[in-house]
Amino acid sequence: MMRRLHGSAILLWLLALAALAWVAIPIYLIQPFAPQTRAAVAWSYALKSRAPWVTGALLAAAIAVALGGGRRLRTPVAGTLAAIALLVLGGVAWLATRNHFEWMFHPLPAARFAPAAEADWVDPQDFVLGVSVGEVARAYPVRALAYHHVVNDVVGDEPIVATY
Amino acid sequence: MWKSTVDGKRLTFRLAGINNQNFIMRDDETGTWWQQVSGCALHGPLAGHCLTPILWDEVAFAVFRADHPGGEVLRPDEATRAEYDTARWEEEIADLSTVTPASDTDPLEARDLIVGIAEGDAALAFPADEIGGRTLLLARVGGMPVAVVLHPDGRSLRCFDRRVGGETLDLYLAAGSDPPIILDAKSGSLWDFSGAALSGPLEGERMRRINCLKDYWFDWKNYHPKTEIYDPEQLD
Repeated sequence: MMRRLHGSAILLWLLALAALAWVAIPIYLIQPFAPQTRAAVAWSYALKSRAPWVTGALLAAAIAVALGGGRRLRTPVAGTLAAIALLVLGGVAWLATRNHFEWMFHPLPAARFAPAAEADWVDPQDFVLGVSVGEVARAYPVRALAYHHVVNDVVGDEPIVATY
Repeated sequence: MWKSTVDGKRLTFRLAGINNQNFIMRDDETGTWWQQVSGCALHGPLAGHCLTPILWDEVAFAVFRADHPGGEVLRPDEATRAEYDTARWEEEIADLSTVTPASDTDPLEARDLIVGIAEGDAALAFPADEIGGRTLLLARVGGMPVAVVLHPDGRSLRCFDRRVGGETLDLYLAAGSDPPIILDAKSGSLWDFSGAALSGPLEGERMRRINCLKDYWFDWKNYHPKTEIYDPEQLD
């Protein structure tokens, strides 16, 4: 049965939950198949763009609290709670640097091309998005763009981003 | 499809989120969030900027190859190509020729497919029903006379500015022509699907191809709130 929990352990959990909320709110707001309000997008940008350093700062503060907690955090209950809080915080600080949309749709590492006559992975009736700059004409199969969503490329001398 | 240079700097984009079913991109250089369909920045250091569109051609590979025999095609990413098929659903909705023509102007439903042309502040949406039924439509978007031309494959679509050499062309599709042959009733000149004049007084001229976007009505209206809807009864 838990008795009075040491203040440091409680503080560590508050820091962990604050970091978790900071990262979880934009993930919740920016979900596919759910509507977004302007405010939701604005808040998501505000939280997500700052998440790496905010969660990093919360993690640093938590480590300081854990070290300052001293012997009282080395009891079985408080120590376990403190360790879990730190692990959660570490995980959240790592997640804050990730782009989970790219887990769902891996980016194309580098745009590479083959002559149209050799493009046997595209059927004649498959759709492409064609771009021409000067003498250079490139086709981006819709099937690939629908997955990757974003392809950075340079066509002729024009840097472009192909999207679908 | 956008040019990725802003204020002289080339930006590198990534998928970063979704906003009412249209995705958000983020540039590595500034962290700005951009809306994919409008090309405009939503939040971040470059808020207030919009990307410049580049002319694209949304057609069957056979059509692209016919126009660009020396063209190149993006190679698939070997690591993830097995997942491409599950993302094909957008392709499947693109067949415009199987839709029966609408007999009167029904109000559009949210997920009705349209083809949209925007010029300056003006925007015009062509319901898929109309295109499937007529294959060549004439209209005006803002001050610009346009033609929307559907290929016999029922899916490849191109849009053109009908002004050539100070004249506005009056276009008809030669029935049953494949590849499509387009006739200008005023000059008698014949044009191909790439917009080049093949014969007649305007031989050697070229119609300017313009972007037209296949989109859901709800998404088009979201970004073009004052859009008009194509009305076949309205005289050009």
